[in-house]
Amino acid sequence: MSSAVHAESHTVRRRLRVGLAAKQAMFGYAILFPTIAILCIFRFVPMIQAFIISFSKYDLIHPAQFVGFANFVDLVQDPLFLNSFKVSLIYVVFSVLPVWPLSLALAILFNRRLAFKNVLRSAVFMPVVMPAVVMAVVWTFLYQQDGALNTILGWAGINPIPWLRSSAYALPAVILIGIWRATPYYMVIFLAGLQAIPAEYYEAAEIDGAGHWSSFWNITLPLLRPTSLLVMVMTVIVAMKVFAVPMIMTGGGPADSTRVLPLFIYQTAFEFFDMGRASAMSVFLFVAVMLFSVAQIRIFTRGEE
Amino acid sequence: MGNLTPAPAMGTTYARKPRGGFLRWALRQRGNVLAYALVAVAVAIALIPYFWMVSSSLKTMTNMFSVPVQWIPDPVNWRSYVIAWHAQDFPRYFLNSGFVAAAITLGNLLLASLAGYSLAKFRYFGRGLLFLLILSTMMLPLEVTMVPLFLIIKRLDWVNSYQGLIVPFLIDGFGVFLMRQYMLGIPKDLIDSARIDGASELRIFWQIVLPLCKPALVALGVFTFREAWDMYIWPLIIVSKDSLRTLPLAISLFMSSYGTAWDQLMAIAVLGTLPMIVLFFFLQRAFIQGIAITGLKE
Repeated sequence: MSSAVHAESHTVRRRLRVGLAAKQAMFGYAILFPTIAILCIFRFVPMIQAFIISFSKYDLIHPAQFVGFANFVDLVQDPLFLNSFKVSLIYVVFSVLPVWPLSLALAILFNRRLAFKNVLRSAVFMPVVMPAVVMAVVWTFLYQQDGALNTILGWAGINPIPWLRSSAYALPAVILIGIWRATPYYMVIFLAGLQAIPAEYYEAAEIDGAGHWSSFWNITLPLLRPTSLLVMVMTVIVAMKVFAVPMIMTGGGPADSTRVLPLFIYQTAFEFFDMGRASAMSVFLFVAVMLFSVAQIRIFTRGEE
Repeated sequence: MGNLTPAPAMGTTYARKPRGGFLRWALRQRGNVLAYALVAVAVAIALIPYFWMVSSSLKTMTNMFSVPVQWIPDPVNWRSYVIAWHAQDFPRYFLNSGFVAAAITLGNLLLASLAGYSLAKFRYFGRGLLFLLILSTMMLPLEVTMVPLFLIIKRLDWVNSYQGLIVPFLIDGFGVFLMRQYMLGIPKDLIDSARIDGASELRIFWQIVLPLCKPALVALGVFTFREAWDMYIWPLIIVSKDSLRTLPLAISLFMSSYGTAWDQLMAIAVLGTLPMIVLFFFLQRAFIQGIAITGLKE
């Protein structure tokens, strides 16, 4: 082929390519559009609205009334809100802290050779399979005064505990369920992280005479750092959003001892119809969730660019 | 259920070594015994609530709290299932839940793969910003936006409707993120050569890109279905009509009106868990994969 013909076909191709690029960009926008539209209408607009309503008094019947920072000022002086904030904080701390070591330990157990490993792992995974509402119903039953849990504790010589009827035990009871469900969930995530660690590292360490503990501290933990960070952030976010279990099991009682923030928001909005105050609380929850979500997204997208 | 043959308990190469072999072997056995003991405890903790749920659903009310505890029901009482099933319109609630969860799952699969494809394989102005925008919706959970979202649904006149239950959840930021990450791995040459062959963009998406994403789609699908089947707070807010109740809502209402009929409550609990168990057993890999991907990085 002569070079002139070659050059000509080259420019034609380039021109074609510019046209195609514009066409493809249009297609790219078009297939992204439904997602952006739905997210705007049902996520961003509500968030903006939440901010606006948080500055107003609104009960769904009378027109909304601008009240400035009144809702926020009321909130920080409201013992019920402060209590709710405290309950959520306790729930987050105590439902999250045990999950990290427990789920990692289980993952390490299932990352070694075990007979019937798959069956056993599926069995341990079962709490994740149970729907949240069913879980709340079944555990309410387990927590009855003469229920299964107190029977089992009785074998160890522990007197029956009035789990859901006492303001001292209701929150620990709710926390326990959170741990029951979250541990196998994060076990799976840790397992995926563990399986990504090349086996050669451990073999090399073994040849060098390193024991299990030494391998754990020097290989497993450092290489699992991204996974661990992610699990920490995810567990906290999930714990901040807990709703179904306290709603169904205790409705926030006894004596407000299990009224976590999302539950209080729900009740303020849909039982007391104080949309302004509920939105102001949502803003608090949003800020808390956002701080951790930013961390999560940063871990997600690290290594790009 | 692949690994049914007992795995060799120790690293065989070490056991065969003449010196120090036995000691090492014995130490490993000790480690194994400990491992099995710990796993046994974990399995027991995970399964006791299941066992108790099933066992109690088959007990008569007189045996429900009998002392000593009756672990295996005697006599077996199947009637609680029949009574509970007919106490309210549970077939309807099952259908509602199935329909809503299926619609949400299909919507997510379609929209997330379209959006993910766009973000992974097309160049246009504002792409990075739009991706960030989508990711940022992950920090707007329903627990934060429930009040204004309810007001929007109310304005649309979608309270007590299937649209109201489904449409706000047809897409989720995480699904887009997942599909984008997965599609980044699809070679550009494959798509370009299809273009040269004259295939339309939509056809490339349907016939080349989507089939390659099957593992991600299955995992995302199972994950989304489970979440949608679990959904409680939203139906609680926008559904007051009996005929629109989803199963979680129906179960919670059943509990508040039949609070002490534990045999029936446990029967309904068993029935409400069954679809998830079936899903788990048939799509075990995808089910677990669906959880593992939520911890996806990079």
